[in-house]
Amino acid sequence: MADFERLQAAVEAGDRETAVQITEAAIDEGLDPHVILEPMTEAMGVIGDRFSRQEIFVPEMLISARAMKAAVALLEPLLIGSGHKPDKVAVLGTIRGDLHDIGKNLVGMMLKGANFEVVDLGTNTSAEAFLAAAREHEADLIGCSALLTTTMGNMREVIAAVAEADDMPDLRVIIGGAPVTLEFATQIGAHGWAPDAASAVHVATAVVATARGQRDLPGLIHPDALAANA
Amino acid sequence: MRLQLVVCDMLMLPVEHLAAESPHEIVMSDLSASLHVEPLPLRDRIQEEIDRIEAEDPDVDAIILGYGLCGGATAGLVAQRVPLVLPRAHDCVTIFLGSRERYAQEQAATPGTYWFTEDNVKRGNAFMGWLLGSSERSNDVRSTYEEYVEKYGQENADYLMEALGDWQQHYDRGAFLETGLAPDDVALERARQETETRGWRFETVLSDLTLIKHLLDGEWNEEFLVVRPGQTLVMSYDEDIVKAVEPTRP
Repeated sequence: MADFERLQAAVEAGDRETAVQITEAAIDEGLDPHVILEPMTEAMGVIGDRFSRQEIFVPEMLISARAMKAAVALLEPLLIGSGHKPDKVAVLGTIRGDLHDIGKNLVGMMLKGANFEVVDLGTNTSAEAFLAAAREHEADLIGCSALLTTTMGNMREVIAAVAEADDMPDLRVIIGGAPVTLEFATQIGAHGWAPDAASAVHVATAVVATARGQRDLPGLIHPDALAANA
Repeated sequence: MRLQLVVCDMLMLPVEHLAAESPHEIVMSDLSASLHVEPLPLRDRIQEEIDRIEAEDPDVDAIILGYGLCGGATAGLVAQRVPLVLPRAHDCVTIFLGSRERYAQEQAATPGTYWFTEDNVKRGNAFMGWLLGSSERSNDVRSTYEEYVEKYGQENADYLMEALGDWQQHYDRGAFLETGLAPDDVALERARQETETRGWRFETVLSDLTLIKHLLDGEWNEEFLVVRPGQTLVMSYDEDIVKAVEPTRP
């Protein structure tokens, strides 16, 4: 019998080899791929929460995400075969002028773990590029990040472009990055803001649910607002 | 005037030269650039210095900061008794280039620039460690790597250096900020080597030390923010970069 506790622990510890071994064994046992996926999703949730509490840092998150990615690669053919596919689409990029993408990459990894399809536009992304990709992929969400105070102001261009895109009335924008504050997000009219990659997943999920009318949250969505409305 | 300067050691070379020329009495406290690894410890550390100065120095007329906004690290600072003065700058690169406008031009033309100064090369490259995601106060690439091997094993460490070092692929220029104040051939050569091993092109850029000079000379024109006692320094999210706000009443 596959040891799911060990699988979860291996992903939490960033032990890729063990995570892959247990996943292989579980597949050989003929277990449902969704059941095998569960302890890993659980592990990333734990890692995300520990990160939000600053008990761990970016490196720990990266190696955990990498361990999960390697194990999930084995599950993917089975998941696709069973008709499993993401139901939300996020377009991500660092803002125009900003070339620092570690935070954005982490958000991408975490969103994939939360059943988002992620379209990653890389770094130095213009408002036009965000909009074009959102249109092409029928995205629910644009996620912009900035590491520098010199570039974060360029996020205004994306918000303005989305506001003018009459063909995509439900498209939402969430922003984040080291210097990006809730105050700034409010000032520029973003739909969501998160202080780190882990809470970005909760915010993204809530923003999409609100746009779809599945939740009713007023104003800008951020972790404290979510906690207050939990 | 008697000015207490709290300054990042990234600026030591120009500050030491220009402080000597200032008409004012300048007392200096320098803080390590490696505090930038996390913005909060840097803010706390600067605030601690401000509090200490206000408690210990009854004759101080103003506290001047050898910092910019520095990723938001100086947002939230407050002095209770004397004015707090700093250049309207995003970071020390603006301070070395002499104006916000010049920095904006450089940033627009070549966003992928890694900036070297004599002090950051000599004191260990704090920003390189920071950009590589070090959770410790590692000062350079080698100690960051060693930290990762010890914590996560070599295989994961190799991956982390690749993943966290990926920004280097997006950069294309290493620029050494020449001050013209001291023969800096050794630092310049090390900067050139660091640049070339990463496959970037290397350039030297001549500094303009006007901002540092005006800061130290007490000539606080529109390029500076003077935070009055009790006001808080905050981000302005516009061309002014920083502003001062009145305390919110409970």
